[in-house]
Amino acid sequence: MQWILARRRVAVTAGLVVVAVVVTALTASSVRDGVALGVALAVAITGVATLTIAGLREAHPVLARAALTVVVLDASLFATYFFSSITNFNLAIGAAMSIVLLGLSFLTGASGQISLGNSAFMGVGALAVAIWANHHASTPIVVTLLIAVVSGALVGLLLGLPATRLRGPYLAGMTLAFAVAFTAIVNSFSSWTGGDAGLQLPTAVTPPNWLSSLFNAQTSLLTVNTMWLADITIVVTGVAFFFMANLFASRTGRAMRLIRDNDVAAELVGVSLPRTRVIAFMVSSAYAALGGALWTLINNSVSPPTYSLALSITILSLVVIGGIGTIPGALIGGLIYAYSTNVISWFTAHTGINPQGNLASQLPGIIFGGLLILTMLFAPMGIVGAVRRLWAKRRVRSAT
Amino acid sequence: MDAFLTSRIISDILAGLTNGVIYGLVALSLVLVWRSTRILNFAQGAMPMFAAYVGMVVFAHELGYWPLVGISILAGFTVGGVTERVLVRHLYGKPEINPIVVMVGFLIVLEGVAAAIWSTTPRGIPNPFSPIDWQLGGKPVSLSPFSVYEIVTGLVVMTLIAVLFRFTKLGLQLRASALAPEVSRLLGVRVGRMLTLGWILSTGVGTICTVLVASNFFTGLTPQVMDGIFAFGFIAAAVGGLDSPVGAIVAGVSIGIILQFVGDYVNSNAIILTALIILIVSLMVRPNGLFTKSSARRV
Repeated sequence: MQWILARRRVAVTAGLVVVAVVVTALTASSVRDGVALGVALAVAITGVATLTIAGLREAHPVLARAALTVVVLDASLFATYFFSSITNFNLAIGAAMSIVLLGLSFLTGASGQISLGNSAFMGVGALAVAIWANHHASTPIVVTLLIAVVSGALVGLLLGLPATRLRGPYLAGMTLAFAVAFTAIVNSFSSWTGGDAGLQLPTAVTPPNWLSSLFNAQTSLLTVNTMWLADITIVVTGVAFFFMANLFASRTGRAMRLIRDNDVAAELVGVSLPRTRVIAFMVSSAYAALGGALWTLINNSVSPPTYSLALSITILSLVVIGGIGTIPGALIGGLIYAYSTNVISWFTAHTGINPQGNLASQLPGIIFGGLLILTMLFAPMGIVGAVRRLWAKRRVRSAT
Repeated sequence: MDAFLTSRIISDILAGLTNGVIYGLVALSLVLVWRSTRILNFAQGAMPMFAAYVGMVVFAHELGYWPLVGISILAGFTVGGVTERVLVRHLYGKPEINPIVVMVGFLIVLEGVAAAIWSTTPRGIPNPFSPIDWQLGGKPVSLSPFSVYEIVTGLVVMTLIAVLFRFTKLGLQLRASALAPEVSRLLGVRVGRMLTLGWILSTGVGTICTVLVASNFFTGLTPQVMDGIFAFGFIAAAVGGLDSPVGAIVAGVSIGIILQFVGDYVNSNAIILTALIILIVSLMVRPNGLFTKSSARRV
């Protein structure tokens, strides 16, 4: 019976794909539009068809997550094709930030510890990319990003080894000291890092020829470049989220949640506390470094003063507002970050605050800090937690 | 003798002592809060900063230095007490990260509000002490009237806190409610008030420290003046043991002197890097701090 169902599903999917491709081919105004729309629709239909198989999430959770990732990636990549370069740039910055958020969210949600040094770990990744690219310009992007991830994990190991063994606020304090020290550390090795001035990438990241040639001469090179950067960032973000979702559901992830809830019980069932905590911290540092590395690619340069304690606190606020330990929370936080500057300047413009005044320049910090306190006091699980609670209430009400 | 007093080593020790007293005071204020409420107060730099602005800047044109110091300290007491009553009270018994997150948010809000009201331009605070080093045989000793004022004030505050905790009934009640709140409550100690008092005392100590930092001719008062000092203060408190006031002071002074040598003989960028290494090594060797005797573990 199940076998017949599966065969019918495959037939329906294939039929839909064929119809979609034929319709786009007939209606599209140009070849490139037709190809883009056709491929995007085909991937989306196949992905959704996989996702809707009954019982897939229970039987093959990894496949279900992969299908979900592919569908979301497909839709986002297709959308970048239409967005303006400003929107694409914001999207790329926000997507990279959501990787950092996911790392911290994982650390806090899984092991109950907190890091205030994520900006510095972002800086480690950002500098690693720039330093490597300045010495080996021809390295593929994937390899450069992996180097950033590894350097982030190694610095995380160094700081995490002493602090994660301890109960109490030591990790938070030590990572705060690291964030404060970051600029001084960068300046100590200024022949490598360029000191406060930072580094430029030797060559900007440009799309491969097949992509550029898809566009006709009317589309400016800048638009194509930004779209390509946004696409790279979105794909990397998708891969990072996919890995994290699997890690969270794995044996290691369960061990980490047990440590968070009851570390004595965790030790009794044979979980090694220090090792698991160090791993959680390394993963979160590596994710922060990956986000910083993407920022370097997007901005084509790295400026160490960006990676200040204030950025760390913004990261913490976004994680808490989105929802600690949840995957959608990290995405929401990234989106908020991408548009926070616009929203805040809209707010200043409409409330008559002097845009050059002291208050306007301090507004982001005050708003993020205030939201951080209010969320923690009144809705500790953030937006995602609040939505889930409303959802659960509605289901209970409709059941009775 | 003169040559000895103006030698590089003695200069570094004296200059380091001045910084060390400041770190020791921050560490002491952190320990006071940690002992009474088991919260590492990340706003321990920002709350006194705000109090110092209220005291030193609002009335700067009407009053002299000493009344301004008095108003600052009173403002510090108020900030500490109100924060405990309004914000911190909701955080007792919550998961460990909740107070950390809330106090970090409070830190950024206070710094933002201070900068919005008073701008980020450093405010010089005129005070009766000269920042110019004394001379001995034509060479400067690394000690000025101002640094003597800093050291003496720091030592007086530390002694007062020690006397309060050791020799008064109030100090006994404070210690009792920190160590065994339930028993103390049964014996008639108003534990809630003692916790508030712990925060008031700690912010008071922090405010005195901030006033000293802000009175320094070379730094002045800025909204972020305590950020770096807080990091050193935390390192001192962690190295000395978060439970030990004596440890906090000794570690603060020692770290101040060590870092002065590093800054003098290596370079200024190496200072915070060295502090970080000291913290890492000391947490690896003595996780509970150099001055904590027992390491009772709470389940």
